[in-house]
Amino acid sequence: MSNYLLFIIIVCYLAILFLIAFLAEKNAKSKWVNNPYVYTLSLAVYCSAWTYYGSIGNAANSGISFLPIYLGPVIACPLWIIIMRKILQISKQHKISSIADFISLRYGNNRFLGALTTVICLLGTVPYISLQLKAISETFEIIVGTPAATPNRFFDDSTFYIAVLLAIFAAFFGTQKSDATEKHRGIVTTVAFESILKLIFFLTIGIYVTYYLFDGTQDIYDKISVQADFTSLATLNGLEGGFNWLFTILLSFMAIFLLPRQFQMAVVENNREKHLKHAIWLFPLYLLLFNIFVIFVAWGGTLTFGDTTKSEYFTLLLPLQNNDTFLALLVFLGGFSAVISMVVVSTLALSTMVSNNLIIPYGYLEKFIQSHPEKNSSYIKNIRRISIFLIIIAAYIFYVNFSIELSLYSIGLISFVIISQLAPSFFIGMFWNRGSARASTIGMITGFLITTYTLILPFTLDSFAGFRDWVDKGFFNINMLRPYALFGIDFLSPPAHAFFWSLICNTLCYLFFSIIVKGNYRERNYAEMFVDNKNYFSLQDNVLVWKGEAYVADIKNVLIRFLGEERTQRALNLFFLKYKLPQNTQLADARLINFSEKLLTGSIGSASSKILIDSVIKEEEITLPEVLKILEESKEAISKNKILSEKSEELTSLTSQLKKANEELILKDRQKDEFLDTVAHELKTPLTGIRAATELLQDESEMPAEVKDVFLNNIIQDTDRLSRLINNILDFEKLSTDRQRVVMSKNNIKITIDKAIQSIQHIASKKNIAIRLKNQQTIVLLYNEDRILQVLTNLLSNALKYCDSETGIIAIDYKRLAGYLRVRVKDNGKGIPDEDIDYIFNKFYQSQDQNIIKPQGSGLGLAISKQIIEKHNGSIWAEKTYKTGACIVFKLPFN
Amino acid sequence: MKKRHEQKLVILSITLFVMINIPFVLVFDVPGAIAGIPILYFALFSIWLIAIIISFIILKRHYE
Repeated sequence: MSNYLLFIIIVCYLAILFLIAFLAEKNAKSKWVNNPYVYTLSLAVYCSAWTYYGSIGNAANSGISFLPIYLGPVIACPLWIIIMRKILQISKQHKISSIADFISLRYGNNRFLGALTTVICLLGTVPYISLQLKAISETFEIIVGTPAATPNRFFDDSTFYIAVLLAIFAAFFGTQKSDATEKHRGIVTTVAFESILKLIFFLTIGIYVTYYLFDGTQDIYDKISVQADFTSLATLNGLEGGFNWLFTILLSFMAIFLLPRQFQMAVVENNREKHLKHAIWLFPLYLLLFNIFVIFVAWGGTLTFGDTTKSEYFTLLLPLQNNDTFLALLVFLGGFSAVISMVVVSTLALSTMVSNNLIIPYGYLEKFIQSHPEKNSSYIKNIRRISIFLIIIAAYIFYVNFSIELSLYSIGLISFVIISQLAPSFFIGMFWNRGSARASTIGMITGFLITTYTLILPFTLDSFAGFRDWVDKGFFNINMLRPYALFGIDFLSPPAHAFFWSLICNTLCYLFFSIIVKGNYRERNYAEMFVDNKNYFSLQDNVLVWKGEAYVADIKNVLIRFLGEERTQRALNLFFLKYKLPQNTQLADARLINFSEKLLTGSIGSASSKILIDSVIKEEEITLPEVLKILEESKEAISKNKILSEKSEELTSLTSQLKKANEELILKDRQKDEFLDTVAHELKTPLTGIRAATELLQDESEMPAEVKDVFLNNIIQDTDRLSRLINNILDFEKLSTDRQRVVMSKNNIKITIDKAIQSIQHIASKKNIAIRLKNQQTIVLLYNEDRILQVLTNLLSNALKYCDSETGIIAIDYKRLAGYLRVRVKDNGKGIPDEDIDYIFNKFYQSQDQNIIKPQGSGLGLAISKQIIEKHNGSIWAEKTYKTGACIVFKLPFN
Repeated sequence: MKKRHEQKLVILSITLFVMINIPFVLVFDVPGAIAGIPILYFALFSIWLIAIIISFIILKRHYE
């Protein structure tokens, strides 16, 4: 393929990425950009060209040792639920923008520690980036089919231009805002997109080699397993190989947390903690898919080409050998994607660290204090942009001078070992509050020096100057000091060996000096915040213990320099509002100082923001016990506050319950009064009748016998009514006050209805009204027969009352419904007036027109019926839709 | 997520560490192959896959 054509394809591909990044920035709030899958895929920045090409080279040459690089993260992922969540919470609380910020803040905003972390990350990452450039350059060469330009003429070298394009991409989308904690949705989305591409293309080539070029996995295995050195490719190579295996797993376990690009993606760019729910299982799955075909491609390549010298690029060479140029191009683009995402994210993370932890705190602060806010913001952005270019150029120089000779795999491992020097300060510091800044510094430097001696120096000298003598014989010819076999431990591979010694010494130094040297109070203050972050989270800005003299105006001046007048004012207003302070507060307290430091952290890093704020305030020394005491007190105050608010909530709910009960009581009382009034009135009416009749009988002794009979009849009727009334009232009261539980037994509804009809039949036949029961079926259910009989009699006699004699028809039917028995009593009388239908079940409710004639019932019949049905857990109502008379329905449950 | 369920994941991680490290992993370090995949690779990939399934189930059930 032509040189220019490939370059045009690359530029087009980059243009697509620019477009994706641009669209994602524009729709930064959309769910397409903010979801757990994009988050997980962005973590796959872990799989760089090292994975894409290096794994296969390693699998072809030394077998299984490519795998531990992915097994470490697989072990780490379930632990994310604790460790990563903690890191996320701390980072959000303190607006942390890089791993250097994280470590420096943990040790009391230590400026030197931040810078040291940055330097270690730089030294670890620049070779790693150069590895990516090497991969680009070599794959470019393979696709084009001619050797690339000689390195000393860099302007002829396409790799140089690609590197510059990547730098432009990173600078454009990485430094839009001066606050580094702002999310870079554009970059995250492109990385996620590239992660999909590289996985798909890698799987495609895996399937192509395994199933198209060969006849499946068994075929490849059968052919390769007859080769002489095959056992070393498929086994661990004994206990010594096992130790290399163990250390590489540990190395990658740490790298997944500590690599600047992983920290950038997993922590800084994370916008929801709950994305972890998916990332914890999806990320290992991604890694699993990426590794499944590695051995088969490696072995397929070995079988095809007969040797493993070019094994890293088997994925390209195999399709090219078979003239599948398009497939080779796809694989190339997949590898290119892996490179872009790694380079862009790494340089972005490093540039933030370089600007916030190295350049600004060591030199630029003075300048910032005198300058204008807009200028400061553009200064910060420019520092980052220049850093991005410098880092990529440094990587290019490293590539030209060193990496051409080295394999991808070995450069990657050196980077991992260097980065792992952050591990003790990072991991132990998060869970142990005594770890101190000085111990951390000593540990890191010791570890780094050992790495330099046992790995970096011999490697550099060997590949650059071909100087091996010192490596084989040791320093000053002392056998014990051989760099690859320190103190006689000669069975480990160089990276595992360096990792073992450096990390042991680093950790021991860290632990030892933490105990020996007492940390200063500020350090301990931050240590407590990190270790016990959940408890201190509730303290918010109270976590910083500070005593001294400070003025709001001074702090405001500093803030304005970086945030501008408007944002500063808005932030301060919010702060005053939050803590209920007057807007014109003069003296600043610890909370405002912590708040302002956090505001500045995103722009200029935690160390610089502390220095800046410290320059305008006067702090008094506090002793360590004092700090601990104050922290303890504020924690207690918070917990007491919590208890108090809980108590008051309880009281409020109790009060409202009481209020409700009281209202109910008042209502009941009123109902009782009304009931008594009505009862008295109802009793008085017949009594008056009896009284009048007896007086008449007494006064008029000369009364004719038939008139006397009429009066006496009246008296008997009224007494009957009176006693019926009293019986009903007693009955009703008994039912409504729960004094009487209805005793249930199994009964047949048909029989009960028959009984009810029988008891009323003689009145009906007297009035010539027909009572019809349609059903014949037997339905047995639990109820109190006497009571239901009472209800039925009541309904029937009501129906009789309102039916015209001669034409009246009363119909009863019953039906089994889901869980219920439904009984209906219908008549063709005058029906229930619409205005009454809602009240007929109230006590003493009697229809309006009964007022003109003498009331025929006690007015309690339906009310009692309702009580009875409700005692049976059923319901009773009048059917509103039934218009040709009245229709009363009740339902009884089956259980 | 409750502490107890978090600890399930921690234990999963410890188990993984033990199972794919020496000396335990030497159990699978034998010649031979299953469906063309050498036994050591087959064992590691299986453990890997099982770990993914277990963490998926734990998170699905208990992550709030």
